[in-house]
Amino acid sequence: MFVDDLVKGFYDVVSSNKILILVNYDVDAICAAKIFQYILRFDNVIYVLVPVKTTTELKKVYKEQKADVKHIVLINCGGSLDIIDILEPEEDIIFFVIDSHRPTDICNVYSSSQIRILATPENDEKIPKFDDIFIDEESSEEEDSNSDDLNEDSGNDAIEKRQNKRRILQQNAFIKRKERRNWEEKRKKLLFDYTQFSYYGRSTAILMYDLAWKLHRESVDVLWWGIIGVTEQFIFGKTENMLYLKEVELIGDHIGRICESAVNHNELNSLSQTVPSNDSSNLRIESGKDLLLALYRHWTIESSLRYSMFTSVSLKLWTVKGEKRLKQILAEMGLPLSESRQMYRSMDLNLRKQFFEMMEKISNTHNLLNLTYPSFILHQGFKTRYQSADYVYSMIATLESNIHGKSSAECFYNTMDSLSRSKKNLLDEGIERAKWILTNMFRHIQAALDMRQVILAGPFYYLIVQEGTLNSQHYSDPQLLIMLASFALRAQVASSHKNRNTHLPLIASAVLDSDQDTCIIVGIPPITESLPRSFFGKAFEQVANKTNIDVSLDYFDSSIAKMQIKDRPKFFDALTALLS
Amino acid sequence: MYCDKVIELLKELERSREDTIPPYNNDGINHVLSEMKTLDAEIIDLLRTQKDNLPLDAIRLRRAAIERNKRCLLTYIWTRIQRLKEMRWEIGAILPSDVRQNLSQSEIEWFNNYCKTLVSYMKTIGPDTGLNLTQDTKPPKSLYTEVRSLVDAGKLELESGEVLILRKNSQYMLSRSQAEPLIRQGVLEQVRQ
Repeated sequence: MFVDDLVKGFYDVVSSNKILILVNYDVDAICAAKIFQYILRFDNVIYVLVPVKTTTELKKVYKEQKADVKHIVLINCGGSLDIIDILEPEEDIIFFVIDSHRPTDICNVYSSSQIRILATPENDEKIPKFDDIFIDEESSEEEDSNSDDLNEDSGNDAIEKRQNKRRILQQNAFIKRKERRNWEEKRKKLLFDYTQFSYYGRSTAILMYDLAWKLHRESVDVLWWGIIGVTEQFIFGKTENMLYLKEVELIGDHIGRICESAVNHNELNSLSQTVPSNDSSNLRIESGKDLLLALYRHWTIESSLRYSMFTSVSLKLWTVKGEKRLKQILAEMGLPLSESRQMYRSMDLNLRKQFFEMMEKISNTHNLLNLTYPSFILHQGFKTRYQSADYVYSMIATLESNIHGKSSAECFYNTMDSLSRSKKNLLDEGIERAKWILTNMFRHIQAALDMRQVILAGPFYYLIVQEGTLNSQHYSDPQLLIMLASFALRAQVASSHKNRNTHLPLIASAVLDSDQDTCIIVGIPPITESLPRSFFGKAFEQVANKTNIDVSLDYFDSSIAKMQIKDRPKFFDALTALLS
Repeated sequence: MYCDKVIELLKELERSREDTIPPYNNDGINHVLSEMKTLDAEIIDLLRTQKDNLPLDAIRLRRAAIERNKRCLLTYIWTRIQRLKEMRWEIGAILPSDVRQNLSQSEIEWFNNYCKTLVSYMKTIGPDTGLNLTQDTKPPKSLYTEVRSLVDAGKLELESGEVLILRKNSQYMLSRSQAEPLIRQGVLEQVRQ
């Protein structure tokens, strides 16, 4: 069941009672949870918030916390699972699902009241009609029993009549069965079409912001968190360009409304030359075009150019030629090498001011089209500015738990805290770690391409992160493995000369737990696909059904699978057979 | 030099940390008092012996020294009492034994009187049971607060009768009055915004 009216259909119901909030481990979900907490603070609603990573954890947490809870909010988890089937909840428990994973499970869509999905069904989602999926089984059984009664009644009549009747009944039953079979086939096909591709819908964080807006509880902070959710989807290619632009336009309106007072305030200040007001009123968001360079405001230009996925793929920076090309670009921009190796914030002011235009000018000549994209910048007083993408990278790095030996829940809360303005240090630590991760990822790709580890296996490429290579343990984090995989796929396509292999997807795999000999596998859709839809979820499931490999699709993202390392070659073989 | 002793007393007080009370220096105070007595005796002596040409400067000097000693002693006592007062608001009516040992008899008396006065005043506020002023010395921003659980503490029954289950690594919104004791026990951790 879809809920259209966020305030009446969701908030008014939820805010009366204790809530259990379950949040998935991703940036979008964390932003959404943060906004939701902000909203709940106004009404003093008692809640319990628990982060969950996998379906197993979801079950466990639900079992632990279900006492006395009537309303459960699932953020970026559970939408693509049959919740009733998995959790077996009591009848008076209501689940509110805010999930950007698509397709939404059909049982959730047609649940009459227990499961309420907070989203408006999009036209292109093509949800199968209710009658095509579910049949009213009771009524058909009733008919059967009716006909049985008729049979008994006619027991006193003549034998011929009876035989006639039986023949008709048999014919009817035959037709019915045939219809039923047709219907079942059609159902199977419809369901397959519906669930074949997994993709992402609208960002959860911005949806939450909509709720805050409708409740008149928006602020610059809340809008910023919403923006981060949207940016995350864009940077990791979870959304179409068109949808992103649409979203940016909407956010632009919100900025105009919310930051208006702040801007006026500043103008007044500059006119009357008074002392600068305190930092809270100086907080504002600006929208504008920005470069697709990772973290360049907090890094050196050279490193940022080299380690950003976009530039390093288009310039093929992992080759010797690429290195020359990088130097050439710097020279053409007139940026001295010593300056380009300086932190951006301590670069010459004139160069810094011209940097954006120089990059834009050069982008046309160097295969760097689409280098700019509309984005947002957070200004706070006179301190360094943060681009929304900076936040995303920092959060991704903070969320990754394998680097510093903290528990994943601790990382989750650190990530959540890094959103608050009072804990800037967490954000800055995250940025430092993100730089480190990006550098390592680039080196890994470079090595993988040199050693020809990206292997063409018929219908797809695959890349296995060998255990024991430097820093390989990071890639047991699915988000980072996905980043690595999409980087590897783009790099591979850019470096191969044949055009026919550009439409292939890529599968990456890394060791998850070396003690238990498990590994994770992620699938990335081909880059030629304009819609970021992945068919791997369904493919993994089918392979698991066909072979007897123990594949666990435990993550909420269906294109992530977990299995024993020794089963991996067999799994790849089966997948090749299925896809070719 | 005059007044050396009393300055030492004050320095001793200043060197100690602000949230503690050093031992009551009975000897030091007695020294100062005896110094003041000697000074007084000297003044009287001067007045008596040299009636014709009074050494006014010498008398003035001694007089000033006596006044200074008096001021400093008062400062010593006043500062100690201020600290004691703060402790009453922060720790409560029952002082830890190490603090109690450091107090003089009259200070203990003063403290007991202060407690009595404070309690009887707090009883008069509000309609029936009074109001505990020491609980929230600064007005809280909200009645509810966000906390994170640090251990698996199990069930917690709320004032409203609902049951919460405290599990490690979960975040909760609780009423401040209920969360505070648990935060002090180290079960919960407050989330600052």
